[in-house]
Amino acid sequence: MATKFLAKALLASVALATLSGAVMAQEFDYGSFPGYTLKVKLIGGTQYEKLYTRIPEWEALTGAKVEIVSSKNHFDLDREIKQDIASGQITWCVGSNHTSFAPQYGDLYIDLAQSIPASELAKYVPGTLQASMVDGRLVQLPRVTDVSNLYYRKDLYEDPAKMEAYKAKFGTDLAPPKTFDEFKQQIIFFADAPNLYGTAFAGKDEGMSGRFMEILRANGGDLFDANWKPTFNSPEGVAALQWFKDIYDAGAVPAGTVNYTWDEIGQAMAAGQLAVDLDWPGFAGFYSDPTASKIADHLGFAVAPVGTSGKRGGWSGSHSFSVTEACDNKPAAVSLAVFLTNDDSELMEAEAGNLPTRSATFDQAVKYFNENGKTALAEMFPIWQASLADARTPPLIPQWIEVSNVLWPQLQAAIVGEKTPQEALDQAAADATTILEDAGILKQ
Amino acid sequence: MTTDVQTLSQPRTKDRVSFFASPRAIPYMLLLPAIVVILSVVLVPLLVSFWTSFTAYNLTKPATLFQFVGLRNYQRLLTNADFWWAFGRTFVFVTITLNLEMLLGLGLALLVNKITWGQRTLRTIMMFPMMFSPILVGFQFKYIFNDSIGLLNNALFDLHIISQPIPWLVDGTLANFSIIFAEIWMSTSVFAILLLAGLMALPKEPLEAARVDGCNPLQVFQHITLPFLMPFVYIAMTIRSLDVARAYDMVKIMTNGGPAGRTELLWTLMTRTGYQNSQMGMANAMGYVSIILSIVFTFYFYRKLVAARTFMGGAQ
Repeated sequence: MATKFLAKALLASVALATLSGAVMAQEFDYGSFPGYTLKVKLIGGTQYEKLYTRIPEWEALTGAKVEIVSSKNHFDLDREIKQDIASGQITWCVGSNHTSFAPQYGDLYIDLAQSIPASELAKYVPGTLQASMVDGRLVQLPRVTDVSNLYYRKDLYEDPAKMEAYKAKFGTDLAPPKTFDEFKQQIIFFADAPNLYGTAFAGKDEGMSGRFMEILRANGGDLFDANWKPTFNSPEGVAALQWFKDIYDAGAVPAGTVNYTWDEIGQAMAAGQLAVDLDWPGFAGFYSDPTASKIADHLGFAVAPVGTSGKRGGWSGSHSFSVTEACDNKPAAVSLAVFLTNDDSELMEAEAGNLPTRSATFDQAVKYFNENGKTALAEMFPIWQASLADARTPPLIPQWIEVSNVLWPQLQAAIVGEKTPQEALDQAAADATTILEDAGILKQ
Repeated sequence: MTTDVQTLSQPRTKDRVSFFASPRAIPYMLLLPAIVVILSVVLVPLLVSFWTSFTAYNLTKPATLFQFVGLRNYQRLLTNADFWWAFGRTFVFVTITLNLEMLLGLGLALLVNKITWGQRTLRTIMMFPMMFSPILVGFQFKYIFNDSIGLLNNALFDLHIISQPIPWLVDGTLANFSIIFAEIWMSTSVFAILLLAGLMALPKEPLEAARVDGCNPLQVFQHITLPFLMPFVYIAMTIRSLDVARAYDMVKIMTNGGPAGRTELLWTLMTRTGYQNSQMGMANAMGYVSIILSIVFTFYFYRKLVAARTFMGGAQ
């Protein structure tokens, strides 16, 4: 009897284990849509399009076909989507999106939390998923995350002559900067124009606004108060802007950096013209590739500096996929969005050096890098992953890009010496106030 | 009563029917497709955009198309210093670019006109810059004028002319010069081709008569060639003034209007306002104010064109 009971108990426990195992391993149901053609608008460009080689797999899995009706860089795609909204011609189902752009599109996209099981959403990095929400709605599924940390040239930091000179001048050892003050000090210390600059920064468009926001927050300030009143002209804001002005006036950055975006900075760092670069993870693969980069053998990684408040600014955002409300087959559209951000897709993104959005992928990626001799990327990943804890997006309001467009020209004006930082920020704050009052967000 | 009305209306209907059936209607009927197309692709968008300039139209909020705000957009523009700087800069940009393009184009046309062997090949080569997309030309000059990795600064370093990089795309004067240079590089050949066509159509008799009368080459050019070419110059000026006033692609790529608005032209400002900021109502108001610029240039060049043609007709 006892043996029989034991056998039953054993069977029951095995069954339970099998069942729980089955639940654990439960995959998202991608569905079946034979004969259906899904129209999509996707971001184009070499670094984004490798993922699209997985689309035929999804087609084979579901029986549907994907028609890419538009493939452009994100700024052109944004313009096209706005034209579609204006003309009411939303004839496509899945669109590339970005954390910074998403709030502009109103109710164009569905709340994906209503269509995707919580068990599947739990696989994404919680902070990244949270940052993908607008007004409490999950309007996008993140595919890769951007957050900036430091790339530096080890040959400069380990040069005995520079180590000695730095110690003699500042009384501390030469090591990657821990604070923005130390960062500025080292940028000016390393600069030997025109052959070597301390660093370069994205000096126009949202890149400039984002970098400013990062130091502003690291200094304990913020762009807006709780009522959306612009507060970036605070002493913390002035100090943040002065940081850029100081390194610019010292000739420690290329004069043209106020016209630079990521392309120019990446090229300059890979050419060995910069000592340090605060940048996104996507450059790790490029900088560590000896066929494309002169600094591949001396590449070091360090977490971004903190500001005077002891915090990191952690400017972050994600590229993502969204599904339109007007879509005639939302389950198929959701299926593709999940497929393009599932574990296999994220591993593909990570292998290219991008920061994935699924928690499990980080360990898999590091294992892959170590097994394939990509030690630099294996070293980089944990550092960038650690900084995600401090990461914050730009304000998730539809007017962010518009506010950014009145902010960055004023930041430039102060950096090149046309205005004082306080004058420039006061002007930008006045313009931003008008924008937010017109939008009804800020009450007069 | 009803019968009376019907009786009265019958001849009108008959007239209308007979007009459409008559040969007089044929030109109108033939033109009808063109009129419909022009109305739908020009007039309707023009009226809609004019209406939106009196609204708070936001591109991502279609309902705002009917949010009438009266003259608010125009009132804001009147006090918007950035807009008027861009307006003035565009005016200066068009004036300098057109005049330089005209002078260089004229020089090129005169030189090419002198060549007897290989002129066709040279004319084709001369048109190469026009075949590039303005965006590609923008990228090309962005890298030529880049202060740290640019071709120009590197050449100047190698020749030991400079010891510190020149910030071509940062300094207010140099940045505008760089953009004007790129525009001239791309479009001077438009002038050259049009003026060359004028030179090739120039009758030989007055030139030979002038030489027989003892005129030197400069006098021949000043009193015969140039007056004959002036209508071609003004036609080219009119076409190019509308083109240059629309300069966007190259400026967007090279500086995007910066730094600190130093190279901001009307179209970079309007595009940012309309598409990035989604404020299409305000962008259209900017557009309608900017039309003044195009009208001024077009009106001026047409007057000059008429005067030049009168001169050619021997009225002076």
